[in-house]
Amino acid sequence: MRKDLDEFKKQKFVIGSIIAMPIILGVVMPLAMFVPMVTMVPLDRPWDIDGLLQIGSLPDNAVTPWTNQTIGDASFDATIFKHTVLKNVSLTHCIIESCIIENTTIVDTTITNSSLSNSYLMNVTVIHSEGTRLDGRYILAISSDLMFTRTKPSEIDQVLPMMFNMILMIFIIIPATLPTIIATYSIVGEKNNRSLEPLLATPTTDGELLAGKIFSSFLPSIGATLLAFTLGVVLLDIVLIPKVGYPPLPNLTWILSIVLLAPTACLMSVLACVLVSSKVSDVRAAQQLGGFIVMPVVLLMVGVLAGFIFLSPVMIFVFAGLYGCLDLGLFFFAKAIFNREAILTKWS
Amino acid sequence: MIICEGLTKTFGPVTAIQDFSLEIPDGCIFGLLGPNGAGKTTTMRMLSCLIQPTSGKAHIDSYEIGKKGDAQKIRGMIGLLPEVPGLYETLGAYKNLDYYGQLYGISKQKREESIRTTLTNLDLWDRRNEAVGGFSKGMKQKIAIARALIHDPNYIFLDEPTASLDPMAAKIVREYILEMKKQGKTILINTHNLSEAERICDTVALVKNRTVKIGNPKDLARGLFTRTISITMQNIPSTLLKDIESLSLVSQAQVKGNQLILQVRNPEADNPQVLSWLFKLGLQVQFVSEEEHSLEDVYLKLIEEAGR
Repeated sequence: MRKDLDEFKKQKFVIGSIIAMPIILGVVMPLAMFVPMVTMVPLDRPWDIDGLLQIGSLPDNAVTPWTNQTIGDASFDATIFKHTVLKNVSLTHCIIESCIIENTTIVDTTITNSSLSNSYLMNVTVIHSEGTRLDGRYILAISSDLMFTRTKPSEIDQVLPMMFNMILMIFIIIPATLPTIIATYSIVGEKNNRSLEPLLATPTTDGELLAGKIFSSFLPSIGATLLAFTLGVVLLDIVLIPKVGYPPLPNLTWILSIVLLAPTACLMSVLACVLVSSKVSDVRAAQQLGGFIVMPVVLLMVGVLAGFIFLSPVMIFVFAGLYGCLDLGLFFFAKAIFNREAILTKWS
Repeated sequence: MIICEGLTKTFGPVTAIQDFSLEIPDGCIFGLLGPNGAGKTTTMRMLSCLIQPTSGKAHIDSYEIGKKGDAQKIRGMIGLLPEVPGLYETLGAYKNLDYYGQLYGISKQKREESIRTTLTNLDLWDRRNEAVGGFSKGMKQKIAIARALIHDPNYIFLDEPTASLDPMAAKIVREYILEMKKQGKTILINTHNLSEAERICDTVALVKNRTVKIGNPKDLARGLFTRTISITMQNIPSTLLKDIESLSLVSQAQVKGNQLILQVRNPEADNPQVLSWLFKLGLQVQFVSEEEHSLEDVYLKLIEEAGR
């Protein structure tokens, strides 16, 4: 392994392409996708004043003691507010309808048909409120005026996971593709340089030889992937934080992908490339065949892009487990069919 | 000791070597001679446990080639110099040797000492980190031999060690080989260079897809050719050839200039009688020498016969 890494360090063009490709794919492309999106998609939502009931007009079943008033600097518990302006109040277990709420802490409360600004909500159900006609239980705040926790995904947040999944596939394709540059050369290159015979004449076992070739291709590939991943995550967060208010990456799916899925996909590619390299007599043939090797990962990418597969943590474990089993199978297969005599006697 | 019994290797319909048997005692230099495609490299690869024999057996010490578990031990006992050195050309001499030292399980300290000594002896210590791709052929060959010796093996297999080397470099390599013999190593050499084999090999085997002949280079010649002595005289009378027919010791005689060329069975015993007879005739003898048949003569004769 050390010899292969030492030889690898001397090949400046190979190193350059191994570093440049992940950066282009993993950093430049995502930025090219996200920067226009976050600059063009309107994230600041205007208040939907039409959606609010007019202050002063109560429904017949109104039972709230607080109507048509402006209340401020107080705390309320288990209270109904309708058509009220609330400022600098603390509300717990309340029902709020058709109010204007500013600078308020609201806990365990139902809000209906109201507008909110500069308010902090915790465990709040918001119905038909906030000017964007958001329904349901949770709201994800995009506007800098609002701070929400445990809130409903907004439109942008419905789109972001899908886009993150697509971008994530880049960091799975990269480690599956890079080995076709390095690993295909591993054995057939030694054949061509006539350095294989003295190597095979050493007491090294077939397993040790294969393991050395595998890891000398695996380490640079996964290293370049991690570099691109880190740069990509940092730059995407820099672009997105001003818009979403928090660093969306890396999330659990991304962490599991880079820790489990990328290495297993990389190993699968390396193993297949080393296997091909031990069987062909020409580096170009090995590299051409190497192109087929990434098919399992390409199929995953197609599934993700087509929407058939959504990369959740569970799916990551499933695919990582699948690739891991393939890796084990490939290693033992490569070891079983590795034949010193065939390699030595059947080259051109 | 290396013992081969009926080693045979076929590659599909082609038989590379058949029924190859020999014994190589410890501490000797054994040469495998033969034309291209005679099976020399195939034999060496079988003994190095790089390829399996189709049939037959061979033992190196107590280990058998082709037996599972013994192959790794045998590879640890031998140092191989293949026909093409196969150095890693982008790496320096130090790294090439260090890498192989690690593969042979040599400790770091021992490796460092050994490599330093070797490269210093080869005048390469100052160039140890230069890529070997820039070195001359002879220098690469020396580094490759050093690589084969890095783990101090008892058995050394050299495939064409002086091929493509200039005479000076070839001489250095030969001296290196003789030095290894003094250290008690057993050395097997594949070579086309018959004069080199004649000079350094204790025993040679002529091979042409099978064992043709095994023996000491000098003994092989004596066994194959009748011995010829050449007597240089001041004057050779014209009747000498006719007169010499009476000598039963001489099987054939001819005159070339002022040399009388005689074929005799046993020069050591027959020369004194021949010279005594010539002195009786009043002839003045200036020089007496034996024409020795070279290993090349032996090789060409035997290989030609084997081909029929």
